[in-house]
Amino acid sequence: MRSTMIFFALLAVSSLGAPVCAQPAKSTAAPANAQVYFIWPHDGSVIVNGKFWVRMGLRNMGVAPKGTGSPATGHHHLLVNTALPAMTEPIPNDRNHLHFGAGETEARVELPPGKHRLQLLLGDKDHRPHNPPVYSKPITVVVR
Amino acid sequence: MRTVFAAAAAMAMATALMALLPGGPASATAAPANAYCYIGWPTDGQVVAAGKPFRVWFGLRHMGVAPKGVAFNNTGHHHLLIDTELPAAGEAIPSNRNHLHFGAGETETMLELPPGQHTLQLLMGDENHVPHMPPVQSKKITITVR
Repeated sequence: MRSTMIFFALLAVSSLGAPVCAQPAKSTAAPANAQVYFIWPHDGSVIVNGKFWVRMGLRNMGVAPKGTGSPATGHHHLLVNTALPAMTEPIPNDRNHLHFGAGETEARVELPPGKHRLQLLLGDKDHRPHNPPVYSKPITVVVR
Repeated sequence: MRTVFAAAAAMAMATALMALLPGGPASATAAPANAYCYIGWPTDGQVVAAGKPFRVWFGLRHMGVAPKGVAFNNTGHHHLLIDTELPAAGEAIPSNRNHLHFGAGETETMLELPPGQHTLQLLMGDENHVPHMPPVQSKKITITVR
Protein backbone atom coordinates (compact mmCIF):
# COMPACT_ATOMS: atom_id res chain seq x y z
CA MET A 1 0.00 0.00 0.00
CA ARG A 2 2.80 2.32 0.91
CA SER A 3 4.43 1.84 -2.45
CA THR A 4 1.07 2.45 -4.15
CA MET A 5 0.76 5.76 -2.32
CA ILE A 6 4.23 6.79 -3.33
CA PHE A 7 3.42 5.87 -6.88
CA PHE A 8 0.32 8.08 -6.83
CA ALA A 9 2.22 10.92 -5.23
CA LEU A 10 4.83 10.72 -7.97
CA LEU A 11 2.10 10.54 -10.59
CA ALA A 12 0.50 13.68 -9.17
CA VAL A 13 3.78 15.55 -9.19
CA SER A 14 4.56 14.53 -12.74
CA SER A 15 1.03 15.37 -13.91
CA LEU A 16 1.54 18.93 -12.72
CA GLY A 17 3.85 19.19 -15.65
CA ALA A 18 6.19 21.49 -13.78
CA PRO A 19 9.40 21.55 -15.76
CA VAL A 20 11.44 20.31 -12.83
CA CYS A 21 14.56 21.46 -14.64
CA ALA A 22 15.54 18.18 -16.19
CA GLN A 23 19.22 17.59 -15.75
CA PRO A 24 21.20 19.45 -18.34
CA ALA A 25 22.38 17.48 -21.33
CA LYS A 26 19.63 14.90 -21.11
CA SER A 27 18.20 14.19 -24.55
CA THR A 28 14.49 14.04 -25.13
CA ALA A 29 13.15 10.79 -26.52
CA ALA A 30 11.78 10.76 -30.06
CA PRO A 31 9.53 8.07 -31.57
CA ALA A 32 11.66 5.52 -33.41
CA ASN A 33 9.67 6.08 -36.62
CA ALA A 34 9.87 9.90 -36.54
CA GLN A 35 11.04 11.34 -39.82
CA VAL A 36 11.90 14.88 -40.84
CA TYR A 37 12.22 15.68 -44.53
CA PHE A 38 12.10 18.41 -47.16
CA ILE A 39 8.70 18.73 -48.80
CA TRP A 40 10.37 21.38 -50.94
CA PRO A 41 12.93 21.94 -52.42
CA HIS A 42 13.87 18.55 -53.80
CA ASP A 43 17.43 17.29 -53.95
CA GLY A 44 19.03 18.90 -56.99
CA SER A 45 16.44 21.69 -57.36
CA VAL A 46 17.61 24.69 -59.34
CA ILE A 47 16.43 27.97 -57.86
CA VAL A 48 16.44 30.93 -60.15
CA ASN A 49 16.46 34.10 -58.08
CA GLY A 50 17.93 32.69 -54.87
CA LYS A 51 14.81 33.34 -52.78
CA PHE A 52 12.58 30.41 -51.94
CA TRP A 53 10.31 28.86 -49.34
CA VAL A 54 11.64 25.78 -47.62
CA ARG A 55 8.74 23.55 -46.59
CA MET A 56 9.70 21.37 -43.64
CA GLY A 57 7.94 18.02 -43.33
CA LEU A 58 7.61 15.91 -40.21
CA ARG A 59 6.06 12.47 -39.75
CA ASN A 60 5.05 10.58 -36.63
CA MET A 61 5.90 13.55 -34.45
CA GLY A 62 4.58 17.06 -33.81
CA VAL A 63 5.90 20.62 -33.86
CA ALA A 64 6.12 22.67 -30.68
CA PRO A 65 7.83 25.99 -30.06
CA LYS A 66 11.06 26.13 -28.07
CA GLY A 67 10.58 25.82 -24.34
CA THR A 68 7.56 23.55 -24.81
CA GLY A 69 7.92 20.10 -23.31
CA SER A 70 4.99 18.29 -24.96
CA PRO A 71 5.80 14.63 -25.62
CA ALA A 72 6.96 13.60 -29.09
CA THR A 73 7.46 17.16 -30.31
CA GLY A 74 10.33 19.37 -31.36
CA HIS A 75 11.09 22.34 -33.56
CA HIS A 76 12.83 22.58 -36.89
CA HIS A 77 16.41 23.69 -37.52
CA LEU A 78 17.71 24.25 -41.03
CA LEU A 79 21.40 23.54 -41.50
CA VAL A 80 22.88 25.49 -44.38
CA ASN A 81 26.24 24.45 -45.80
CA THR A 82 27.31 22.68 -42.65
CA ALA A 83 27.59 19.13 -41.34
CA LEU A 84 25.44 17.83 -38.48
CA PRO A 85 26.47 19.35 -35.15
CA ALA A 86 27.23 17.35 -32.00
CA MET A 87 24.13 15.36 -31.06
CA THR A 88 24.58 15.94 -27.32
CA GLU A 89 24.81 19.74 -27.35
CA PRO A 90 22.29 22.47 -28.13
CA ILE A 91 22.26 23.20 -31.85
CA PRO A 92 24.40 26.29 -32.56
CA ASN A 93 22.53 29.43 -33.52
CA ASP A 94 24.21 31.19 -36.41
CA ARG A 95 23.83 31.78 -40.15
CA ASN A 96 24.54 28.10 -40.84
CA HIS A 97 22.07 26.84 -38.24
CA LEU A 98 18.70 28.52 -38.58
CA HIS A 99 16.31 28.00 -35.67
CA PHE A 100 12.55 27.89 -36.01
CA GLY A 101 11.71 28.11 -32.35
CA ALA A 102 8.31 29.70 -32.96
CA GLY A 103 7.01 26.45 -34.42
CA GLU A 104 7.39 27.51 -38.04
CA THR A 105 6.97 24.79 -40.65
CA GLU A 106 8.11 26.92 -43.60
CA ALA A 107 10.99 29.29 -43.98
CA ARG A 108 11.77 31.99 -46.52
CA VAL A 109 15.42 31.54 -47.41
CA GLU A 110 17.71 33.59 -49.62
CA LEU A 111 21.03 32.16 -50.79
CA PRO A 112 23.78 33.49 -53.08
CA PRO A 113 24.44 31.85 -56.47
CA GLY A 114 26.14 28.46 -56.28
CA LYS A 115 25.61 25.02 -54.78
CA HIS A 116 24.24 24.78 -51.28
CA ARG A 117 23.79 21.89 -48.89
CA LEU A 118 20.62 21.88 -46.80
CA GLN A 119 19.64 19.52 -44.01
CA LEU A 120 16.90 19.54 -41.39
CA LEU A 121 17.51 18.64 -37.75
CA LEU A 122 14.83 18.60 -35.10
CA GLY A 123 15.64 20.02 -31.68
CA ASP A 124 13.80 19.62 -28.39
CA LYS A 125 12.59 22.43 -26.14
CA ASP A 126 16.22 23.23 -25.28
CA HIS A 127 17.39 23.02 -28.91
CA ARG A 128 19.07 19.67 -28.34
CA PRO A 129 18.72 16.85 -30.87
CA HIS A 130 16.46 14.05 -29.71
CA ASN A 131 17.37 10.49 -28.88
CA PRO A 132 17.42 8.98 -31.45
CA PRO A 133 18.20 12.19 -33.38
CA VAL A 134 15.65 13.20 -36.01
CA TYR A 135 17.33 14.63 -39.09
CA SER A 136 16.72 14.61 -42.82
CA LYS A 137 18.83 13.41 -45.66
CA PRO A 138 21.04 16.32 -46.79
CA ILE A 139 20.00 17.82 -50.12
CA THR A 140 21.82 20.03 -52.58
CA VAL A 141 20.21 23.00 -54.28
CA VAL A 142 21.73 25.13 -56.99
CA VAL A 143 21.05 28.87 -57.04
CA ARG A 144 21.43 30.50 -60.43
CA MET B 1 0.12 9.31 4.78
CA ARG B 2 -3.49 8.74 3.86
CA THR B 3 -4.00 12.49 3.55
CA VAL B 4 -0.94 12.76 1.36
CA PHE B 5 -2.46 10.14 -0.86
CA ALA B 6 -5.80 11.97 -0.93
CA ALA B 7 -4.12 15.29 -1.71
CA ALA B 8 -2.05 13.72 -4.44
CA ALA B 9 -5.09 12.07 -5.98
CA ALA B 10 -7.06 15.32 -5.79
CA MET B 11 -4.24 17.20 -7.44
CA ALA B 12 -3.97 14.67 -10.22
CA MET B 13 -7.72 14.83 -10.76
CA ALA B 14 -7.76 18.63 -10.76
CA THR B 15 -4.99 18.68 -13.33
CA ALA B 16 -6.83 16.21 -15.50
CA LEU B 17 -10.06 18.19 -15.18
CA MET B 18 -8.38 21.47 -16.01
CA ALA B 19 -7.09 19.93 -19.19
CA LEU B 20 -10.63 18.92 -20.13
CA LEU B 21 -12.35 22.20 -19.42
CA PRO B 22 -12.61 24.67 -22.26
CA GLY B 23 -10.42 27.65 -21.49
CA GLY B 24 -12.90 29.92 -19.83
CA PRO B 25 -14.68 32.72 -21.67
CA ALA B 26 -13.85 32.54 -25.33
CA SER B 27 -11.66 35.51 -26.10
CA ALA B 28 -10.08 34.85 -29.46
CA THR B 29 -6.31 34.71 -29.74
CA ALA B 30 -4.78 37.20 -32.17
CA ALA B 31 -3.20 35.90 -35.38
CA PRO B 32 -0.85 37.82 -37.65
CA ALA B 33 -2.80 39.56 -40.43
CA ASN B 34 -0.61 37.88 -43.08
CA ALA B 35 -0.87 34.36 -41.64
CA TYR B 36 -1.60 31.97 -44.46
CA CYS B 37 -2.87 28.44 -44.13
CA TYR B 38 -3.21 26.10 -47.08
CA ILE B 39 -3.47 22.45 -48.02
CA GLY B 40 -0.12 21.58 -49.62
CA TRP B 41 -1.48 18.30 -50.95
CA PRO B 42 -3.90 17.18 -52.33
CA THR B 43 -4.65 20.02 -54.73
CA ASP B 44 -8.12 21.27 -55.55
CA GLY B 45 -9.79 18.84 -57.96
CA GLN B 46 -7.36 16.01 -57.21
CA VAL B 47 -8.56 12.46 -57.82
CA VAL B 48 -7.26 9.92 -55.32
CA ALA B 49 -7.52 6.15 -55.38
CA ALA B 50 -10.25 4.54 -53.27
CA GLY B 51 -9.31 2.12 -50.55
CA LYS B 52 -5.85 3.61 -50.18
CA PRO B 53 -4.92 6.19 -47.55
CA PHE B 54 -3.44 9.43 -48.90
CA ARG B 55 -1.30 12.04 -47.21
CA VAL B 56 -2.58 15.53 -46.49
CA TRP B 57 0.06 18.25 -46.01
CA PHE B 58 -0.77 21.17 -43.77
CA GLY B 59 0.84 24.39 -44.99
CA LEU B 60 1.27 27.44 -42.77
CA ARG B 61 3.15 30.67 -43.35
CA HIS B 62 3.88 33.62 -41.09
CA MET B 63 2.72 31.64 -38.09
CA GLY B 64 3.94 28.64 -36.11
CA VAL B 65 2.55 25.34 -34.84
CA ALA B 66 2.13 24.59 -31.14
CA PRO B 67 0.32 21.67 -29.50
CA LYS B 68 -3.01 22.25 -27.74
CA GLY B 69 -2.68 23.79 -24.32
CA VAL B 70 0.47 25.67 -25.31
CA ALA B 71 0.17 29.46 -25.30
CA PHE B 72 2.93 30.84 -27.51
CA ASN B 73 2.63 34.02 -29.58
CA ASN B 74 1.49 33.59 -33.18
CA THR B 75 0.95 29.85 -33.00
CA GLY B 76 -1.94 27.43 -33.22
CA HIS B 77 -2.65 23.87 -34.23
CA HIS B 78 -4.23 22.46 -37.33
CA HIS B 79 -7.80 21.20 -37.71
CA LEU B 80 -8.92 19.44 -40.85
CA LEU B 81 -12.56 19.97 -41.77
CA ILE B 82 -14.02 17.21 -43.92
CA ASP B 83 -17.31 17.64 -45.78
CA THR B 84 -18.42 20.44 -43.50
CA GLU B 85 -18.72 24.22 -43.34
CA LEU B 86 -16.59 26.43 -41.10
CA PRO B 87 -17.77 26.15 -37.50
CA ALA B 88 -18.96 29.13 -35.44
CA ALA B 89 -16.31 31.79 -34.83
CA GLY B 90 -15.32 32.39 -31.22
CA GLU B 91 -16.18 28.87 -30.13
CA ALA B 92 -14.06 25.76 -29.73
CA ILE B 93 -13.88 23.75 -32.93
CA PRO B 94 -16.00 20.59 -32.56
CA SER B 95 -14.12 17.32 -32.36
CA ASN B 96 -15.75 14.61 -34.46
CA ARG B 97 -15.26 12.77 -37.73
CA ASN B 98 -15.84 15.96 -39.72
CA HIS B 99 -13.46 18.02 -37.59
CA LEU B 100 -10.12 16.31 -37.03
CA HIS B 101 -7.87 17.87 -34.41
CA PHE B 102 -4.11 17.79 -34.59
CA GLY B 103 -3.41 18.90 -31.07
CA ALA B 104 -0.04 17.17 -30.87
CA GLY B 105 1.40 19.67 -33.35
CA GLU B 106 1.16 17.39 -36.38
CA THR B 107 1.79 19.01 -39.74
CA GLU B 108 0.52 16.20 -41.97
CA THR B 109 -1.79 13.20 -41.74
CA MET B 110 -2.90 10.11 -43.60
CA LEU B 111 -6.55 10.09 -44.58
CA GLU B 112 -8.87 7.55 -46.13
CA LEU B 113 -12.31 8.56 -47.40
CA PRO B 114 -15.13 6.63 -49.02
CA PRO B 115 -15.58 6.91 -52.79
CA GLY B 116 -17.19 10.15 -53.97
CA GLN B 117 -16.61 13.88 -53.77
CA HIS B 118 -15.29 15.36 -50.54
CA THR B 119 -14.36 18.81 -49.36
CA LEU B 120 -11.29 19.52 -47.23
CA GLN B 121 -10.42 22.72 -45.42
CA LEU B 122 -7.86 23.60 -42.76
CA LEU B 123 -8.67 25.83 -39.82
CA MET B 124 -6.18 26.86 -37.17
CA GLY B 125 -7.24 26.77 -33.55
CA ASP B 126 -5.51 28.33 -30.57
CA GLU B 127 -4.44 26.48 -27.43
CA ASN B 128 -8.13 26.08 -26.51
CA HIS B 129 -9.17 24.99 -30.04
CA VAL B 130 -10.85 28.36 -30.69
CA PRO B 131 -10.21 29.93 -34.14
CA HIS B 132 -7.96 32.99 -34.09
CA MET B 133 -8.89 36.59 -34.76
CA PRO B 134 -8.71 37.03 -37.70
CA PRO B 135 -9.42 33.33 -38.39
CA VAL B 136 -6.65 31.45 -40.17
CA GLN B 137 -8.21 29.06 -42.62
CA SER B 138 -7.32 27.54 -45.96
CA LYS B 139 -9.26 27.62 -49.17
CA LYS B 140 -11.81 24.82 -49.21
CA ILE B 141 -10.83 22.22 -51.80
CA THR B 142 -12.83 19.44 -53.41
CA ILE B 143 -11.32 16.05 -54.13
CA THR B 144 -12.73 12.93 -55.68
CA VAL B 145 -12.09 9.46 -54.31
CA ARG B 146 -12.48 6.93 -57.07
